[in-house]
Order: sequence, then structure tokens, then C-alpha cells
Amino acid sequence: MALYKTRAIAIKSINLSESDRLVTFMTENHGKVKCVAKGARKIKNQFWAALEPMSLIHLIYFGKEHQSLFRLNHSDIIESFQTIRDDFDKLYTGIYFLDLIDAMILEGHREVKVFSLLHQSLAALNQQSELEPLRRLFEIRLLSLAGYQPQLEHCVLCRKAPQNGLISFSYAHNGILCNSCCRRAGSDIQFSTGTRNYIKKLLEVEIKTCERLKFPKGQTDEIEKVTHRLILSHLGRELKSYPFIKNMAEL
Amino acid sequence: MKRPPAVTDLIDELKRLPGIGQKTAERLSFFLMRGKAEQANKLATAIQNLKEKIILCSICHGITESDPCDICSDATRDHSQICVVEEPHDVYVMENMGYFKGVYHVLMGVISPLDGIGPDDLNIEMLKEKVSKPGIREVILATNPDMEGESTAVYISKVLKPYGEVKVTRIARGLPVGSDIEYADSVTLLKSLEGRLEMR
Repeated sequence: MALYKTRAIAIKSINLSESDRLVTFMTENHGKVKCVAKGARKIKNQFWAALEPMSLIHLIYFGKEHQSLFRLNHSDIIESFQTIRDDFDKLYTGIYFLDLIDAMILEGHREVKVFSLLHQSLAALNQQSELEPLRRLFEIRLLSLAGYQPQLEHCVLCRKAPQNGLISFSYAHNGILCNSCCRRAGSDIQFSTGTRNYIKKLLEVEIKTCERLKFPKGQTDEIEKVTHRLILSHLGRELKSYPFIKNMAEL
Repeated sequence: MKRPPAVTDLIDELKRLPGIGQKTAERLSFFLMRGKAEQANKLATAIQNLKEKIILCSICHGITESDPCDICSDATRDHSQICVVEEPHDVYVMENMGYFKGVYHVLMGVISPLDGIGPDDLNIEMLKEKVSKPGIREVILATNPDMEGESTAVYISKVLKPYGEVKVTRIARGLPVGSDIEYADSVTLLKSLEGRLEMR
């Protein structure tokens, strides 16, 4: 029986039996793990606030190596990102980030970069007021860390550099296509060179300063269409939390 | 040797209940089998009555045997004060307190994006209708102090904003009675400070 200590962010918490909770964490040292928190729903339980999704915590848990379910031993809040919880738009964006991580990341693999992306993105979400660049940045970076980074430099089939103007993109090939390959293989979407450059910038820019990336109006929709469709094509389903960002923003 | 079908059927049905696994279901089945027939009949009648007699109150959505429920039809209660709760059983938790004399409104859930439950899946429109009628003084939001409960409370407070004359309040969050401040986490302490009251 091993004891594990790591920083972690709770990504999902569901009720289990009478007073327990099953919590999924994205941990810094051990990737995605699931822990049972015994008595977590009792009113005097010390874990209570620390197990709320989105909180950055010090986590101690134990269990046998290579098993899929662990037992929570202790948790202490480092940062609760309270500003996110008080603002609808931020809250649902944060929940969308957690939903994406849960859907795209497998358990039992060390994912230091994914943890860092989530931690930095939640910190930025807590601070920033312009959320559109952050949402797109999170989507494209997570795709990239999960091994689905789209090829945007040259044609994914013949490696020829694209010409200026409209660029053809294929979701099946996960990259851009030159004119001749496009005629042969067919493309799913066309976007401007500007959009491609913005997506490339999203892969390079520092998360805490991404708010400064001002997308022109037409390109905001285009970038969203590309990143969102990429996620759809890799996951094969729409995330339940995605429509909430749109619906709640109208409030 | 195989178990008689009557025992297997009972075990299978008991296993469906929350918190009951194969072993507990077997233990309960054999307990009922050994016990008096009258005891088993009482249990069967109680379950049957539960399904046949219990309905949802058309006003508050709480569980009741007669519509409207005892609370909604009680003229001595303060009908200008509505306490909004997540589930029907929360009404009884609040009633056990014996302090609140207003009426209830059960949402039948909370907004939960991860489960795809939105405001349209809850009884929020009905609450808006109630509040739009004259005579409502206060709406108390008593959803759980977790992420879903908090976001549902924020949502309701936003949709009730146009009815400015109605006071929308949220139950206090903080240290539980009999707890130790040494073991309180920072969020709970912060909430207890925010919700502090002047000593009377």
C-alpha cells in the first residue's frame, strides 16, 4: 500500500453511497486519478470545500500501485479560485475546461504538462475578463498535448507550403491541404491565413497574457469553428458542458 | 443447488436499492423469509402505498398524499416567504428545524453542466410565475453550498432580478456548530467571515 503526495485539481465530484464522494483529480505527479473520500458529505468533514471542482489542493491519497481507485487521506486548499465561482461566464468556462480534461486524458499516465495547462488556465480565468482567447488557447493546447496538434505549417499530405489566401483544412487528416491535395482528398473547412496565424499564436503565447490577443470579429467565429470541430472529430461527441457557455453568456 | 426463484427475485429487487449489494440483499431476503408473514406483508403494503399514494404537490413540488400539500394549504404559514430547495427530502430537513414558517419551492435538481442539466430541466419557470404574483416578500435560496448549488442560486437570483421588490436571500455558509476552527479550511473560514453577524 503506497502513500502518494501531490498537488492536484479536482475535476469531477460525484456522490457515492450514504456520505462518501468519488472525486476525479488531475494530479501534478500521477496524472488523472480517482479517489473515494469517505464521509466527505458529512457536515463536519474537513475535506468538504477542498473537494469542490476547480480548487487547487495538496492531496494525499493511498492505495495499491496500478489500481484504478484510491482512498483519499488528506486534502488542503492552496487556491480556491473564488472569482471564477462568482461569475457565470467564468464558471462555465472553467467547467468546460474540466470536462475537456476528463474526456481527453486517460487515467494512470503522468501528465505534468496537462496539469500545468489546467492550473495556469484556471489562474488566468480567475484574473482575465476577456475569455474567448483563453477558451480557444485551452482547446488547441490540450489537443496538442493529447497528441492531436493540427499540422498548420505545410500540406499534411505532400508537405508543400500553402499559398496565401484561403487555406483548406481536413479534420480527417488533421492538417491543412494544398490546392492539388485538396482537389484529390477534399477539405472540410476553409479559413484565412490570418486565422491560421492566430491558431499558431495560441500555441506559443504565454497563458497569462493571452487576453491581449485581440481576434477580429470574423476570425473569432472561424477559430472557434476550427478548434471546436477538431475536438468533436477526436472525441466523437459533443461535451455536455459546451452549450452552457453560449446559453449562460446570454444572461 | 439453485435458490428457489422467489428468493432470487427478491434478492435481485433488493440489489437495485442504493447502498445494497449482493450480500446485504441475501441477508435481508433470509431475514424476511425467517420472520413472520405479517411483518413481510406490512413491508409490502408500505412500499405499495408509497407508489400508489405519494404524489408531487402541484404548488411546491414537494411529496404529499393530498394536493396541495399540508404546508401549501396551511393558512397559518407565511406564504410571502418562499424557501427554494433542491430535492423533496430537503423540505423535511428544513421542517425538522422547526423554525421556518414560510412555504417551499422544490427545484427537482440543480444546474449541472457536466451532466447536461440546464435551467429548463428544473422548476425555475414555475418559481418565476409565483414571484411575479403580488404578495411575495422574500425568496430564500437554500441549495447546497457546492459548485452546482451555488451556480443554481446565482442563476435564480439573476432571473428574479426583474422583480426588484422581492428580496432574494441565500442561506449562510460557514463553520458548523460544534466544529473546531483549527480544522476549518480557508474557503469555509472566508465564507463565515463574510456572513458574520453583529452580537445581540
